[in-house]
Amino acid sequence: MMTAQAKIPENTDLELDYSEAFHFPQGMAGFSDAREFGFIYEGHGNIVCIQSIDQPEAAFLLTPWDEERLGSTPVLANDLCDCLAIKDQKQVMWMLVLNPFADEQWVTANLKAPIALNLETRLGVQCIRQDPDLDIRYQWMQQPA
Amino acid sequence: MLVLRRKIGQAIQINENIRIVIQDVQNEHIVRIGIEAPLDVPVHRMEIYNLIQQENKSAGGVNALKWLKGKGASHDDSSSENT
Repeated sequence: MMTAQAKIPENTDLELDYSEAFHFPQGMAGFSDAREFGFIYEGHGNIVCIQSIDQPEAAFLLTPWDEERLGSTPVLANDLCDCLAIKDQKQVMWMLVLNPFADEQWVTANLKAPIALNLETRLGVQCIRQDPDLDIRYQWMQQPA
Repeated sequence: MLVLRRKIGQAIQINENIRIVIQDVQNEHIVRIGIEAPLDVPVHRMEIYNLIQQENKSAGGVNALKWLKGKGASHDDSSSENT
């Protein structure tokens, strides 16, 4: 197993399996050097943390797109399909970036820039959508006590 | 800032692999441009990109995993989604 170490809060070393990392060819907006991400599941509901291996300060909480609440998933633009090596839109797994720090009462979700993943090729991209009506801080769930 | 004058159909080359072509000028104020760039170069309207950049910096960071390990753990018992 190829592993990589990332420094996370309080200088704890976190060991991530490189072979299971997802490659984000475009990085994340604001963290363009963060290209390799390990997924960390702590067993809490359907929230996962993606931790950058190459830019330790880049870590995000993700949760799957919920069609019941949000309607059907977005359509991935052709250039991003190429970026993820996607041949069929059904291959795309959509996830939302959660922000637990923006609001005291709510954990918010960014509907304007969800994450598209290809689980087969382990590629990911943050897809910035142009629709001005999309919430950047959609009230996703109440802050846990 | 480098400022260049270009006519419709003319292009600007950046590095080996990025090309910007002036497509059209509408109503004297709106310029349509075409951009060819490698797949690993994100191209966005600046005002939207800046918004997402700020939101990512607010949402993502060294405290994300800490939150998940701490507060996120109590989410398991929570059924308080905003439906």
